[in-house]
Amino acid sequence: MAGLSFDNYQRNAFLASKTHSNLPKATSTGTTIVGVKFHNGVVIAADTRSTQGPIVADKNCAKLHRISPRIWCAGAGTAADTEAVTQLIGSNVELHSLYAKRQPRVVTALQMLKQHLFKYQGHIGAYLIVAGTDPTGAHLFSVQAHGSTDVGFYLSLGSGSLAAMAVLESNWKEDLSKEEAIKLASDAIQAGIWNDLGSGSNVDLCVMETGKDAEYLRNYITPNVREAKQKSYKFERGTTAVLKEKIIDICEVEEEQVLVV
Amino acid sequence: MKSCSGKTVPPPPLPLEHPSAMSQPIEHQFNPYSDNGGTILGIAGEDFAVLAGDTRHTTDYSINSRSESKVFDVGDGIVISANGFAADSTALVKRFRNSLKWYHFNENEKRLSLSAAARNIQHLLYGKRFFPYYVHTIIAGLDEEGKGAVYSFDPVGSYEREQCRAGGAAASLIMPFLDNQVNFKNQYVPGTGEKRPITYLSVEEVVKLVRDSFTSATERHIHVGDGLEILIVTKDGVRREYHELKRD
Amino acid sequence: MNHDPYSWGRPSDETYGQYSDAIAHAPSFPKMNTQQPIVTGTSVISMKYNNGVIIAADHLGSYGSLLRFTDIERLFPVGKNTVVGISGDISDMQHIEALLEELETENNYDNSHADDEESLQPSYVFEYLATVMYQRRSKMNPLWNALIVAGVEDSKPFLKYVNLLGVTYSSPTLATGFGAHLAVPLLRRVVDRESDVEKTDMQTATDTILQAMKVLYYRDARSSRKFSMAIIDNDQGLVFNKELEVENMKWNFAKDIKGYGTQKV
Repeated sequence: MAGLSFDNYQRNAFLASKTHSNLPKATSTGTTIVGVKFHNGVVIAADTRSTQGPIVADKNCAKLHRISPRIWCAGAGTAADTEAVTQLIGSNVELHSLYAKRQPRVVTALQMLKQHLFKYQGHIGAYLIVAGTDPTGAHLFSVQAHGSTDVGFYLSLGSGSLAAMAVLESNWKEDLSKEEAIKLASDAIQAGIWNDLGSGSNVDLCVMETGKDAEYLRNYITPNVREAKQKSYKFERGTTAVLKEKIIDICEVEEEQVLVV
Repeated sequence: MKSCSGKTVPPPPLPLEHPSAMSQPIEHQFNPYSDNGGTILGIAGEDFAVLAGDTRHTTDYSINSRSESKVFDVGDGIVISANGFAADSTALVKRFRNSLKWYHFNENEKRLSLSAAARNIQHLLYGKRFFPYYVHTIIAGLDEEGKGAVYSFDPVGSYEREQCRAGGAAASLIMPFLDNQVNFKNQYVPGTGEKRPITYLSVEEVVKLVRDSFTSATERHIHVGDGLEILIVTKDGVRREYHELKRD
Repeated sequence: MNHDPYSWGRPSDETYGQYSDAIAHAPSFPKMNTQQPIVTGTSVISMKYNNGVIIAADHLGSYGSLLRFTDIERLFPVGKNTVVGISGDISDMQHIEALLEELETENNYDNSHADDEESLQPSYVFEYLATVMYQRRSKMNPLWNALIVAGVEDSKPFLKYVNLLGVTYSSPTLATGFGAHLAVPLLRRVVDRESDVEKTDMQTATDTILQAMKVLYYRDARSSRKFSMAIIDNDQGLVFNKELEVENMKWNFAKDIKGYGTQKV
């Protein structure tokens, strides 16, 4: 296998099976992300819950990433991978656009992403919805961790993808307006938020209209604001015991008299 | 391979290069258990006890029901909840109700004390020692002196009377909070170096702690949410409170 | 006298023959009746409305990925105001069907009140099925199914679920299998809490169920176009339609999707 070494693969698999200690677990496999095309653009949306097993690690994380000013990407899967792969391809797309003296294209980002992900045979756990506008129009794609891609007028990915897709399949129609597409995308994300335990909190949204700057709408809908607590948990000063007190001088102070002549 | 007693000796362990030591075949065996999420919490006061549970019922990443009660008033001022595998929980509560009915029948409608109920539940659980009820059980009520009491059980029947106990999915999130707020752990009287003395909390105060415990668990645990049901036991009987929880 | 300590406390060979130690080499579970589903039926979906319940299931019996049987009925009326919907293994389903027929026969036999005070109610049927399911799982010999019992009892809608583990729950919207992921989010957009049931009429509920069946046909690879739908209405009684088909699908946009990325033709 050119370029990559799998020498330690068997050893690692064996060690993992022998030691009952679990290897470090990466954050977030649960997510709901969607993309919807409309008559002169495309919108993508995501929930904002990040999980480690059954525990909510971040209640308001950002799953919408910028590849270039008008190409955005929603990520599901391993949080670190979606972030890293998106930044890497973002850099390369910019370099490529500088070299080619042309606006970045969505297909360029897509091709770079799928070639990169295919090279890593699915070990980079990034599941992305790539969307944006370029001189050739508005585009909407998805990429799987193994490198396969897909085209569609409406797409969903992540643990909440079934809930979201149910809404998309019910309410999608041809030639949506921008407002209708935004409503459909946010409704699909909400289906994930309410029905999928891996998804929750808020809706992030990004609207990309041909010939215009992308509009990133962070926390477009916030339907999960926590109610006020019943009680204040402010402790009286001195409640925490001081078991030991030690003061360390971090610099030496020298005092001397200076005679001013 | 025969030893002097005629017993067969098991074969030596497989060498490491043996295929089965490297990879396991895909196992397809029926698993009689599942985890249905949710969390429960019991706190005893001076002359009352509360037992609360959320009403979310889950499997994996799905919400089966947003309104499935798991705390029950079984009569005789006893409230019970068994949290974990829902089918075992249902079966255990059903068996306890049946046991209580027979007790009334055999003992001329005598009221079952909470301590006796606890011992009975120990036997129900230990009776299935080698195919356990996969549940964390908590009961609450008043003891023979009228003081609030909470008993909690492990899946095979080991039990203890406690001032407070959280069980289920978010037990590990709630329990340290309770240690600090109910038993005043790690709290000191300012300026003295003395531990803050334990005092009884009022019902109002306890209900506030319960509600804050559950809203907090809802924020950080995906298997907790939707609704909170609190059963409050006093000498006057059992009262029920319901509060909405976040549904995401 | 046999002086070998190994033989002490064991039945003597003279009387009982050679002692068998086979039991010591038995697998950890004494008997494994556990099967795996063979011919299967996919989701059952259901919801309450202000005067009853609706339940639906398609007609397909899948043999793995093979579309094997195309005309299997998976909704079973029991008594006058109960319908049981069954997904999962079809042979186990037919066993449950036999149990339900027996239940009804036993209830009717020599019973002059079987049509009124002592008629089978949804909650009785459910309690029976849940008990059977839990007992079978406890014997490590499950019936590989998920069931929904739908009906009207005391003029109020009844809806409850039980599966091969004996796990039971109730909700104003219920679905088994794939339906729990694809249909329930749609049903909950109409009826999310018990208080929404009052605001939902039969027409709205029917439309919602039909919509959910369409989405399931779009997205569940083991579903079929033909399906049955039963309405148990407090006034009209059982309305059972076995001749339904998914209709008004959108496929026009499909011709505009070309390739999987950069392709233009």
